[in-house]
Amino acid sequence: MLEVQDLTKRYGEVLALDGCNFSVSRGRIVGFLGPNGAGKTTTMRCIFGLARPDAGGVLWRGREVGREERRRFGYMPEERGLYPRMRVHEQLAYFAELSGLGGPAAAAAADRWLERLGLADRARSRVEELSHGNQQRVQLAVAMAHGPELLVLDEPFSGLDPIGVESVAGLLAELVSEGVTVLFSSHQLDLVEDVCQDVVIIDHGRVVLSGDVLELRASSSRRSLRVTVDGAPWIPSIGGVSVVPREEGRPRVLVDASTDLDEILRLAQQAGQVTQFSFEPPSLSDLFFETVTRKGSR
Amino acid sequence: MRVPTAKVLLVARRELFQRARSRAFRIGTAIVALAAVGFVVLPSALAGAPSTRRVGVVGEHSASFRAALSTAAAAFDTEVTTTVYADVRAGQRALRSGDADVLLVGSDELVWKQGADPELSAIVASAVQAAEQQRVIHDLGLSPEEAAALLQPTPIRSRALEPVSEDEAARMGLATIALVLLFSSISVFGGFLVTGVIEEKANRVVEVLLSRARPDELLAGKVLGMGLLGLGQVLLVGACVLAALLAVGTADLPEATPGMVGWVVLWFVLGYAFYSVVYAATGALASRQEDAQSVSVPVTMLSLGAYFLSFVAMESPDGLLARVCSFLPPTAPFVMAVRAAVGTVTLWEVGMAVLLMALSIYGLIKLGGRIYAGAILRIGPKVRLRDAWRAAGS
Repeated sequence: MLEVQDLTKRYGEVLALDGCNFSVSRGRIVGFLGPNGAGKTTTMRCIFGLARPDAGGVLWRGREVGREERRRFGYMPEERGLYPRMRVHEQLAYFAELSGLGGPAAAAAADRWLERLGLADRARSRVEELSHGNQQRVQLAVAMAHGPELLVLDEPFSGLDPIGVESVAGLLAELVSEGVTVLFSSHQLDLVEDVCQDVVIIDHGRVVLSGDVLELRASSSRRSLRVTVDGAPWIPSIGGVSVVPREEGRPRVLVDASTDLDEILRLAQQAGQVTQFSFEPPSLSDLFFETVTRKGSR
Repeated sequence: MRVPTAKVLLVARRELFQRARSRAFRIGTAIVALAAVGFVVLPSALAGAPSTRRVGVVGEHSASFRAALSTAAAAFDTEVTTTVYADVRAGQRALRSGDADVLLVGSDELVWKQGADPELSAIVASAVQAAEQQRVIHDLGLSPEEAAALLQPTPIRSRALEPVSEDEAARMGLATIALVLLFSSISVFGGFLVTGVIEEKANRVVEVLLSRARPDELLAGKVLGMGLLGLGQVLLVGACVLAALLAVGTADLPEATPGMVGWVVLWFVLGYAFYSVVYAATGALASRQEDAQSVSVPVTMLSLGAYFLSFVAMESPDGLLARVCSFLPPTAPFVMAVRAAVGTVTLWEVGMAVLLMALSIYGLIKLGGRIYAGAILRIGPKVRLRDAWRAAGS
């Protein structure tokens, strides 16, 4: 289990981390979410000793994370992070060796990972010759090749097309089923909602929300409502409705969880023919904005 | 600071093989080797080419003139052929078309196409003189003994106040090759380090690396790998130069040559170690290749200054300037190499210079390591030295 305790880090005038506090349970896939500049990368850098926090610390299984602990971690920094002109297999083996594997073991790990990612035929290609999605997969392999217990990925989905997202997400799910703990960051909350089991949502260097995704959504006092009447979006005129501003063309509202569904449906049917009616727990970004707004107005 | 060698060696191995395998590097090495060989071979090839001069003659000339001409030519290590032209006009035509190098009209006028060649002029003049003496001796009716006594040249001894032996001239040449090789290798491999460090920083590989190895391990590995490659190139080019020297003629090879190769290797290792750490540390200050130039300018200027100073030192290798500079770490690699080739260096001087060099390299590794560590993860505009220093210290 990874515990991030009261991390504080200031870069000149900017307070990047302001007492960041959360933990990651073993064998879970945890989304570390928040807008750009929230402090995600700084936190990850602190985990790997790439940045020194001004205060606070990081524990792994109850022990302060040091060189020895980090050998059991795998890290993938945001975008690139590979030698563009080095060959794929060589690169994998090099990083595996640098992570402590012996030469033959590192080469074998590189073989195994290329096979697993379906990139065996690209073993001798230069990294720069691969597609963006494949480069991302090689990066994942680099982070995983030495068999770490904790995998930390900074924005693994950014810049990927839906197929790329699907394939990386699938791989992460496989790893978690093999017992690896995964912590990954993203600023695209909706994109990764289905990927993570737990979330830690951070804003302005502080954790604003964390826990099991499904539980968080279910336990929210709000519900997401989307109704289409006569082919057009329809918004009920009842109390406690807030329009979700971000979704173009398909307006959605948040209403109290206790709202009488029958009443809304009746109102909608009076307005015309109901072609769509969905009433769901709020999305992660709904939760995020709700939390941030509530804190801001306080 | 205890550096676990395994990771350093891993990093060094990657640096070495990745660079050695690049086509640009191989082509560059071939060009350097060819240029060095050319530097050795070309002067003697050019000097050895046209050794036969053609003298056109208008008017009467005796057999003794022709004999005297070849004797005089032999004294200048050259050969002369003579062609007789019917009149001045025909002779001048030959001169213009390049069939003759000089035209002797009668026995008192030399005609050139553009300007006089002093050597050929002296050869012809002395032949004319000799032929004239022969004629006078013949006219006087002297016996062969009397003639021989008359023509017997008075032996003149010559001595030089500051003699420059052939060996010494060759040593100068060798020192020049050594200097160019030292300077260009240190600059080129230092430059490779700068671009390598910036590349890793720009594409964030360094974060992957530093999650697995410490900054000092990474720095040491990069410096070591690039240094071994540089040493390999120096040895290769040195071997090519030696082979070329041997091929051109062993007479040109000063006795000091094998020792000189040893000195170049020693001073490359020390000079490279000194400059490379500085290059790598300054490279860490930049995040983009565009800034590579500007961050490394101070280092380049320093090595360039040391390089020029060493040419001054070549003029008077045992002068005060040369002596002082051969102890100062930034200039020592170049100036000591020069003094070893053309001057007189005592063992204690070399030992002292090596010691000072080693001490300063140790200090630089500490200093450069700290700057590298403080700057390598700071992406964005150029990092100021002071900020890098502080970042690593806190």
